[in-house]
Parts: sequence; C-alpha cells; structure tokens
Amino acid sequence: MPASVEIESLRKVFQRRAKRGLLSRRGNGTRTLVAVDGISFSVTAGEVFGLLGPNGAGKTTTIKMLCTLLTPTSGTARVAGHDVVKEATKVRAALGTVMTGERSVYWKLTGRENLAYFAALYRIPSRQARPRIAELLERMELTARANELVEKYSSGMKQRLALARALLAAPPILLLDEPTVGLDPQAARALRELIGSLRHEGRTVLLTTHYMAEADALCDRVAIIDRGRIIALDSPASLKQSLKAKEAIRMEVQGSPNGLEDALRALTTVESVSAKQSDNGSGTCELQVITLGSRGCIGPMIEAVRRTGHEVLHFQVVQPTLEDVFISLTGKSLRE
Amino acid sequence: MLRLMLAIARKDLILFFRYPINAVFRVVEPIMWLTPAFFLGRGFSVDGTAPGFAAYTGSGDFFSFILLGSFLGAYISAVFWGIGYSLKMEMDAGVLESNWMTPVPRFAFLVGRTVTSLVITTLNCTGVLLASWLLFGFSASGSVGRAILITLPMLGGLYGFGFTFAGLVLLIREANTLVDVSSFLVGELSGRGFPVTVLPRSLIVISLALPTTYAFDAVRAILLGTEPLLPPGAAALVLVAFMVVMLALGWLSFTAIERLCRARGTLGLH
Ligand SMILES: Nc1ncnc2c1ncn2[C@@H]1O[C@H](COP(=O)(O)OP(=O)(O)O)[C@@H](O)[C@H]1O
Ligand SMILES: [Mg+2]
Repeated sequence: MPASVEIESLRKVFQRRAKRGLLSRRGNGTRTLVAVDGISFSVTAGEVFGLLGPNGAGKTTTIKMLCTLLTPTSGTARVAGHDVVKEATKVRAALGTVMTGERSVYWKLTGRENLAYFAALYRIPSRQARPRIAELLERMELTARANELVEKYSSGMKQRLALARALLAAPPILLLDEPTVGLDPQAARALRELIGSLRHEGRTVLLTTHYMAEADALCDRVAIIDRGRIIALDSPASLKQSLKAKEAIRMEVQGSPNGLEDALRALTTVESVSAKQSDNGSGTCELQVITLGSRGCIGPMIEAVRRTGHEVLHFQVVQPTLEDVFISLTGKSLRE
Repeated sequence: MLRLMLAIARKDLILFFRYPINAVFRVVEPIMWLTPAFFLGRGFSVDGTAPGFAAYTGSGDFFSFILLGSFLGAYISAVFWGIGYSLKMEMDAGVLESNWMTPVPRFAFLVGRTVTSLVITTLNCTGVLLASWLLFGFSASGSVGRAILITLPMLGGLYGFGFTFAGLVLLIREANTLVDVSSFLVGELSGRGFPVTVLPRSLIVISLALPTTYAFDAVRAILLGTEPLLPPGAAALVLVAFMVVMLALGWLSFTAIERLCRARGTLGLH
C-alpha cells in the first residue's frame, strides 16, 4: 500500500514574544515553545488514522503543517507524494481539510453559495460543480436548508457543510481537526457515521481528536500524542491489548480529589491514577486507576481511600479503553 | 485565473449586499467627499468661477477639478479598501484559512478581491457624473480615452502598493485605521481636493514624490485644460515606471510577509 501521508521528524517551534515596548529591544524578549517535537508516522492509502491527545498536544499544529498553513521548523512531510513546503500547490489540490471550529465557511452566504464559491476555487467546471454540490448537500442532509444563510445553521449543520466543502474536489486525502468538538451527541454521532462512510469510498482520513471513544470507533490506527511527541502508535485493539496484563479500575468516591492520587500511587500494585471532580454535580470525584492486575490490590486500594477520609461509593473493574492507555502512558487523563 | 477572480468577485458582491451598512456607506462616500468642497468653493467664487483658484490652476472651474479628483481618489480607496479591509474581514470571520488552503495562487485572491470594489466605485462615479451633469452642468472637453490611459498605470502602481498593504494587514491584523489613513493621506497629498501647488514647501515635496499626484494632474490637464506640472507624456512615463517598480516591490514584500505569517502561524484566529 502506498503511503498517503508521510511525516519524518516533523518539528514546529513557535517564538513567543514576551510583552515589551515598541522601541525597547532590551534583554531576551522571546521564549520558544515546542508545539510539535519531532514526530514521524505514515498513513497508508485508504486508512482512517487518528491523532489522539489532550488539548495543547500539538494536533492542530500538525494538521496545519500538512495543509500548508504553517511551515515546519524542521523535518519533512509529504502528502500524496508531494512535499508540503516545496510543492505546496499540489499538496493543497490533493487535500480536503476541515479545521476546528465552525467558522470555516461564510456565515453570510447560503450553504449552496458557499459550496459554489469553493468549487470555483478548486477549478471545478460549473457544469460539473452543480450536480456535485447537489449530491454533497444531499449526502450531508442539507438539501432542505441549502438556500438559507449559514448563520442560521446549527453547529452540526455547519460542520457538515465544512465537510462537504472539503469533499468538493473529491480529494484522495482528508484532514479533519477535531471534527466533532462542540457538537451535541446526536450531531457528533451523525458526523462520525459520515466519516465512517468515507472509508468505504477508499478515501484516506487523518483526523485528530481528544475523545478516545471516537478514536476507538473510527480509526484503523491511532497515534497517541502528548506534548508534541508520539508516545504510542498502533491499532486501537493492540493499544488496549498492551494493557491486557493490567486492569483498569473505576471508582467514585465522596468528596474532592485532594490527596487521593498520592495515596493510591503509594501502593506498589498501582501503576497510574487519574482523579477528577465528577461533572454530575453531586460533589463526588471519579478515579481511574491502572493496576498491574493483581486481584489482591482491591482491598488495599479501598483501605487507602478510606484512610484519606473518603468513602468509596462505586467500584468497578473494567476493560481497558484508549483513555486507560493514555493514563498508563502519561499518568494523566485526556481531559484536564 | 479569470474564472477564479470572477468567482471571488461574485462572492464579494453577494457579501457586499448582505452587509447593508457597508453598502450604503460606500455609495454615499463619494458624495460626502464632494459636498463640502462644492459649497465652500461656491462661497469663494464670483459668477461661477473662483479667481484665486484659477491663478493656481489656469482654470476657474473648481467644481470639475474637485469632481475628477474625487473620482481618482475613489479608485485609490477602492484598491486599499478592496485589498486591506476585505482581507481583515476574512481573517476575523475565520474563513481566510479555508481560502488559503485551496490551490489558488495568492495573486488571484488579492486581485480578485478588488474587482467588486472597483466595479462598485465605477458605478458610483458614473452615478455622480450623471448627477453632476444634470444638476451642475458638468462637462469635460478633452479626450476621455487619453485620461483613462493615464489612469491605468496609476492603478497598476496602486495594486503594487496594495500588495504590501495586504501583507501589513496579515502582519498587524488590523485594517480599518490603516485603510483610512493611507487612502486619506495618499488621496489628499496627490491633490484630490485642491491643486498641490497650494501646499507649503514641506508637504509639496512629499506630494511631488507621489506618482499619483502626476496622474491626478495629468487627467485634469487633459480633461479640463488646467496647467500641468509635467507634460502628459512625461507623466505617463513616470506612472509606468511607478507601476513596474511598485508591482515588483509590492509582490516581493507581500510574499515575504506571508511566509513570515506561515512560520508564525498567525493566519488564523489565535
Ligand atoms: N501560532 C501560534 N503561536 C504560538 N504558539 C502556538 C501557536 N499555535 C499553537 N501554539 C501552541 O502550540 C501548542 C500546541 O497547540 P495545538 O497544536 O493547537 O494543540 P492541540 O490542537 O493538540 O490542542 C499549544 O501550547 C499552543 O498554545
Ligand atoms: Mg487543536
């Protein structure tokens, strides 16, 4: 299988300007921030590949370098065989990209006008553009609202329009940056189904997400990225398999997470812990613990929680998810 | 390339009418320029000609003088407005990145986005011309064709300036003040509303260094028979040279700044 996207030691360093006067150039005013720190991977044709990582991991920066909006500091990236720096125009023609957020189309144009405009930018002759636009509107379930201004659309509709825009020129490769972020569960599910259908057309998809369930459900392979580095890369099943010897435990305890993580980490059988306040408003917190799989640790764990003055409300041994893989690798949760 | 620019212009035209306040402002603008000057000039004239004015220009017809000035000034702001302001609007709306990642040359984006602006300006000018002819009996005697020939290289040069300007908008992410100040200064110092010879020495130096001054001057000399600063042939040469130099400089500076923005990652919202 030919590689559709090949990334080799790709790095992006941002210069952050410290605030200073217009004229004073005293001192060392710039700090550097390594957003992407030498990543390498390749996506094969026809594959749905996920970049999974928390906010600030460098996902968007990677996508922007691939779609030529950002120049790499060093390293190389090739899209459909073309170098993103030296052959930017060919790269742009081979890609359909949807960036995060819902502002990638004109809100003061209708859905159909947006697509007609972008079709012209991709030099699709108008005789072919019209049926193509109709077909995409139909597929994205936007036909009924196609002649309304985009500002009246829901988030899900805007995102589907952005996907239609990316598909206009039938590009072999799609880049989707957090495609479902900000969507309600139903809209997110609809969009995931659409992304799933792209695979059946043989398109290559590189998507980023911080939802592990999304990566798990959609992707053939997942690269876990944290602080600009890829810390694991495999199929979701294999990633979870790597935790097979271990067990994931979910606990709900009374009170705030203070002190709980340290108390549990002190146990030799506990590999990593992530604690966070539950968002159900009942004043409890949720713990996700990866243990080395010894059944004997359950008693000591409950004991340790009690000693910090908390009561265990719920306790469950579960199948490891990609989230657990992430916790196991980084010692923190995907959503901070 | 032409189809691309037309698509961009079409989109801009639709958007233009979807932001009604902009549309109204752009239509009223040339009339706003003209009105105070007209009445002021009228206050200083005797029997429809202004003798002091005639001493500077060789023609007492101050109204036609100002009318032509405001037309050319309108094209200056059309280029600045078309390039700078619309770029800023797309940056704010967040759609600049969607445009920038299509395989369309940047050149088509910059020039394409001025087309609507120029068309609207031309319509405005025609409207004002018609009104002036009906209301004030405006008439010009010289060759309109030659006047247009002089104007074209001026516009070419302004595009060069506009490219640099587009780069600046990308860099500092601000356009309104930049557009207003530059088009105001260039317009005024080129003699949009008065003969530049009335300026004090320090300003006339700047004014004479602006090639646009010679375009204004030559167009008036051709159409109204005013006393020119340079013979129209020489003015044309100056303007063609200006066009070549500005287009080259403008394009180089724009591509340099755009490269810088792609390195910094400041094209989108952040
Ligand atoms: N244009 C920029 N200038 C400076 N820093 C940036 C810029 N874009 C992103 N960053 C920083 O780079 C890091 C990675 O950001 P990003 O790629 O957006 O992460 P993600 O998409 O995974 O949430 C963050 O710390 C972010 O603040
Ligand atoms: Mg992001």
